Amino acid sequence: MSIAEIESAELALESSTGGLWREAWFRLRRNPGAIVGAFFVLTFVVIAAFAPLIAPYDPTIVPTVLPETCCPGPSSAHWFGVNVIGQDTFSRVIYGARLSLVVGIVSVAVGLSVGMFLGAIAGYIGGFVDSVIMRCMDVLLAIPGLLLAIGIVALDLPFDRLYQLMIAIGVTNIPIFARLLRGSILAQRENDFVLAARSVGVKRPTILFSHILPNAMSPMIVQGTLALATAIIDVAALGFLGLGPQDPSTPEWGNMLADAQDYLSSQPLLAVFPGIAIVISVLGFNLIGDGMREALDPKLRGRA
Amino acid sequence: MLRFVVRRLLLLAPIVLGLSILVFLWIRALPGGPAEALLGERATQARIADVRHRYGLDKPLPVQYWAYLRTTLSGDLGQSIASRRSVTSEIAQRFPATIELALAAMIFAIGIGLPLGFLAAKWYGSWFDHLSLVGSLLGISIPIFFLAVILKYVFSVKLGLLPSIGQISVLIDLKHPTNFYLLDAVIEWDWSAFWDVLKHLILPAIALGSIPLAIVMRITRAAVLDVQNEDYVRTARAKGLSPLVVDSRHVLRNAMLPISTIIGLQTGLLLSGAVLTETVFQYPGIGSWITNAIFNRDYPVIQGGILFLAVVFVLVNLLVDISYAILNPRIRYGR
Repeated sequence: MSIAEIESAELALESSTGGLWREAWFRLRRNPGAIVGAFFVLTFVVIAAFAPLIAPYDPTIVPTVLPETCCPGPSSAHWFGVNVIGQDTFSRVIYGARLSLVVGIVSVAVGLSVGMFLGAIAGYIGGFVDSVIMRCMDVLLAIPGLLLAIGIVALDLPFDRLYQLMIAIGVTNIPIFARLLRGSILAQRENDFVLAARSVGVKRPTILFSHILPNAMSPMIVQGTLALATAIIDVAALGFLGLGPQDPSTPEWGNMLADAQDYLSSQPLLAVFPGIAIVISVLGFNLIGDGMREALDPKLRGRA
Repeated sequence: MLRFVVRRLLLLAPIVLGLSILVFLWIRALPGGPAEALLGERATQARIADVRHRYGLDKPLPVQYWAYLRTTLSGDLGQSIASRRSVTSEIAQRFPATIELALAAMIFAIGIGLPLGFLAAKWYGSWFDHLSLVGSLLGISIPIFFLAVILKYVFSVKLGLLPSIGQISVLIDLKHPTNFYLLDAVIEWDWSAFWDVLKHLILPAIALGSIPLAIVMRITRAAVLDVQNEDYVRTARAKGLSPLVVDSRHVLRNAMLPISTIIGLQTGLLLSGAVLTETVFQYPGIGSWITNAIFNRDYPVIQGGILFLAVVFVLVNLLVDISYAILNPRIRYGR
C-alpha cells in the first residue's frame, strides 16, 4: 500500500460520520431494544397486510352450529379457540391487526400533518397568529384525550365510523405535534445558520422549508412513532367502550376484549389473545420510538 | 412569586373561555338536539318546538351562548336529564370518588416506582437496570383496560380475594359526610366499612397506577443518573459522608425536582382520565359518569362535566408550575 493510499484511507476514516441520519441509523441498528421493536412491528405489519392469506377462517362469518358450551379453548382446528358465537378467535385477532394498523397510521398522519401545519405557522409567523393557534391547542389539550375522542365519535358525522375513529384520534394528536414543532422552530430560528441565510437574502418560505424544518424533524419522527403506539391503544379503548366499527362483527381487538369480559370465568383466553396482540404491537412501536430518541439525541452522538 | 401566580391565572381565562365555547358548540352539533333528548323519542314536533322555545334554544347562537355563560359563571351547571339531580351536586358526590382513586393509584405508582427507579440508577447497567427498563416499557404498553380485565380475572374470579366492581358493598350502610369513602369510614369509626372500601379500591388503583408507575420509575432513574455525577455529589462522597446521607440529602433531594413535576402532571391526568378504569370496575367516579352521559345524550352532564374536568386539569397543571417555581428558585427569575 502506498503512502497516498494510506493517507486517503485515514481521511476516509476521519470523515465517516456521514451526517445525523446515517449516524442515527448506525446507532439504531446496534440497539437491541429497537431491533426487537422492529421485529414486533414488522410481524404486525405483515400480519395486517396478508391477513386473508394467514387467517384460516372468515372472521365475520357466524357458523350455523353454535358451540355447545362457552367456549371451546385452543384446538388444532382453532388455534386460539372460538368465541361465544363460534367464530375463530385466531382469524379475528389476525384481521384485527388490519384495522388497528390502518386506523393508527391514518390518525397519526392526520394529527401529524395538521399539527405540523399549525405548529409551523405559529412558530414561524409568531405574534398574534402564534397566540391564537397556541391557545386553541391549549384548549384541546385541556380536555382528556379519550373523552375528546369519544366526543368526536359521538358526533355521528355523515361518514363511516372508521373514518370518524381516524379523525377522533387524529384530533387528539394535533396539539401535541403543533406544540412540538413550534418549540423546535423557535429554537432553530435563533441559530446562526438561519441568521446567515436571512442575511444573504434567502426568502422566508425557503428558510422555513430548507433550513429550519429539516433540523426540526427528528423530534417529530420520534413523537410520530410513539404516537402510533398510543393510537393503537386508543383505537382499542374506543372499541372496548363500544365505539369501535359500526358493524359489530368487524374484528377489532378492543371490542373482542369487551366481549370476552362476560365469559371471563369460563374462558379467560378469549380476553388474553386480543390483549396480547395489542401489547405486542404497542410495545413494538414504543421500543422503536425509544431507540430512535436515543439514536437521534445530539447529546449522545458519537458515543455509540 | 405572587405576580407569577397571578400572571398564570390570567393566562387561564382564555383557555377556560375557549373550552366553554367548544363544549357549547359541540353539544349543539350532536345528533338529536337537547330538546329531543329531554323529551325522549316519542315527542311530537309541537312539544319539541315548545321546549326549544322555553329553554331559549330557538334564539341565535351568540344569544344562547351568552345565557349559557351567565348561568355557568353563577355556578349553575344545569340538571341531569337521567337523574333529575343538579350537575353540581352529582359532581360533589362523584369527584371525591375519583380523587380517592387517583390518589390511591399515585401512592401505588410512587411507592413502587420511586424505589425501583432509584435502585435501577444505583445499579446502572446491571441486569436489574435492564429489567426495570423493559418493565417500564411494558407498563406503558399494556392498555389499562386489558390489565384491568386480567386483574379482575386473577384476583376476583379465580382467587376470590377482592371485589371486582363498585366502590363499597351494597350491604354496608355508611354515612357520607365528606363523600370520600375512606375518610367517611374513619370519621364514622366504622372499620369494617373502611376495610371494605379499601378492598374495592385496590384493583382499580393498580390498573390506573400502572402507567404512572412506569413513568415515575423512568424519570427517577434518569434524574438520579443525572444528579449522581454532579460535582457536589462527588464532593460529598469525598468528604467521607456515609452513602446513605449522600443518597438521601444530595442525590434524591435534587433528583426530586423533575420527579415531583412528573408526579403532579400524572395526578392531573389521572383525575381527568380515569374513564377506562372506572368503566371496567363500574367505579362511580366522574369519568364513567361523563362517558355514560355521552352514550345517553345527557347534555347538561356532558357540558358541565367536561368543563369541570378540563378546569381541574388546567388548575392542577398550574399548581404543578407554581410548586416547581417554589422548589426551584432559578425558574422564577426568568418570568
